[in-house]
Amino acid sequence: MTKRLRIGYVPLTDAALLHVAKAQHFAAARGVEIELVADSSWANIRDKLVAGHFDAAHMLAPAAIAVSLGIDQIEAPLVAPVALGLNGNAITVSKVLFEALLQEAQDDIADPRVTSKALARIVARRRAAGEAPLTFGHVFPFSSHHYQLRLWLRAGHLDPDEDVRLVVVPPPFMVWTLRKGQLDGFCVGAPWNSLAVAAGAGTLLHQRTNIVRDCPEKVLAFRAEWARSHGDDVRALAGAVDDASRWAAAPGNRNSLRTLLTSTAWQDMSPWTIERVLADPTSTSGPAVVETGLQLDEDAIKADPAQALWLYAQMVAAGQTIYSPVQAEAAAAVYAPALGPSISRPAATPVAFDGPAFSPNDIASYLVALHASS
Amino acid sequence: MELRWDLRIALVDKNPLRAAILEEGLRAAGHMSVVRIDDTADLLDRIRAIDPDVILIDLESPSRDVLEQMFKVSRSVARPVAMFVDRSDAATIDAAIDAGVSAYIVDGLRKDRVKPILDMTISRFNPFAKLKKELETAKSQLDDPKAIDRAKALVMRAKAIPEEQAYALMRHVAMNENKKIAEIARSIITAAELLR
Repeated sequence: MTKRLRIGYVPLTDAALLHVAKAQHFAAARGVEIELVADSSWANIRDKLVAGHFDAAHMLAPAAIAVSLGIDQIEAPLVAPVALGLNGNAITVSKVLFEALLQEAQDDIADPRVTSKALARIVARRRAAGEAPLTFGHVFPFSSHHYQLRLWLRAGHLDPDEDVRLVVVPPPFMVWTLRKGQLDGFCVGAPWNSLAVAAGAGTLLHQRTNIVRDCPEKVLAFRAEWARSHGDDVRALAGAVDDASRWAAAPGNRNSLRTLLTSTAWQDMSPWTIERVLADPTSTSGPAVVETGLQLDEDAIKADPAQALWLYAQMVAAGQTIYSPVQAEAAAAVYAPALGPSISRPAATPVAFDGPAFSPNDIASYLVALHASS
Repeated sequence: MELRWDLRIALVDKNPLRAAILEEGLRAAGHMSVVRIDDTADLLDRIRAIDPDVILIDLESPSRDVLEQMFKVSRSVARPVAMFVDRSDAATIDAAIDAGVSAYIVDGLRKDRVKPILDMTISRFNPFAKLKKELETAKSQLDDPKAIDRAKALVMRAKAIPEEQAYALMRHVAMNENKKIAEIARSIITAAELLR
């Protein structure tokens, strides 16, 4: 009988490859049976993986790095042999804020440089009038959603910690909070932006890859110690994710992918909503791209240490840790492509719409330049 | 003296029955200031207003991630709060996860004061976790992997072929009929039961 591995995940579009690996029997074909266990928070995913209740987990890439560095609640070395996709987040704002941005924007509202500067003017006016600061939601302190919001704010010379309020809001509560006026905008992944738009609570401001191109998102994380003693299982599972990504990228599988997501990932969601999330008439790059630009093909799953370093630099910029070369090396080591499938093409390095270019070989200069530019 | 010893406990649980049972237990143990908070969007504001020494939260609540933020932005609460489940007490962590609850405490609070609270919380959460597990087991009696395994065994016996071959055969049929392999597996099981 095949071996059964418990994998924790949060029901989001970007858990897709795990569902594909299971449903298309890619894991079984490699000798491991996958049990997918849905969970409700990133804190649970972290705790249950570290405590050994999960063998592997669909994890926010920065959260995996933070746990490994010991700058989150629990310290435990983790490894990610493979990523589960790139991109996929979007910024949605309330209708009121969107109207204000339209009025204030001096150029194309689709350009985040224009909107961040317009936002800065709105923030200044509100402050002068003694109004409460604007509040933006993201999903977890260690998340690319959080860092994308910060990059956008910095481009308008706003201090993310002083000029606005950044709060964590669980995605299932985002739309409701936005409608109630407790949030002025948020950065989340699919399908929540579409839901907010469909519910009439907000307007999609920056979608696809407008803020950061090739932004690392979720990884398949293991405890480093467990991975060492279960090398075959880790390779089998990472290989199954690779199989799944090639399957998901094949144009002929798009309908099956949608059906699979309908029956597994989003049981409580109407097919209409899922159709909206997956619908992407402008896409030329195949079926695996959803409205927010989530990329699931083989180019999107290589666990390149340069991406881990980019995330580490964002953590430092957010004041979550203090830069040290030793820590940077430890962060890079979380991404362990040697344990994963051999993908010969190099992975892309993330590129933000504004600010200095990132070089994995010189994080210190990048951080200095980032600080100076904001 | 009384005041100094009375810890403020915030309980985030959307199950009213479980919350009431725990609250009663905590009161019986002398903890009079237990405040139940609904799992709503203004959780952080509510916590800030209560300024609790201990926060107990249902693991099923997505609001756990909201609490995590407090440790990163310490000025959002009067005192920084740290997670109780430090790794030196693996047994308690396991028990808490199994029971479906997590706890946060104010930094510096003595462990021996918090341990009985956590133990009681775990014991009150446990029957609910057990019930849920039983329901899930009943529901997944014949989930996909189990059905596939059972069908595979039937095919192996009927045709005297090894496991891989049996699986390949089922997969081949599933592909030809454009069906899920679990559906094929269930038909095999049904057929085997009919022909028994």
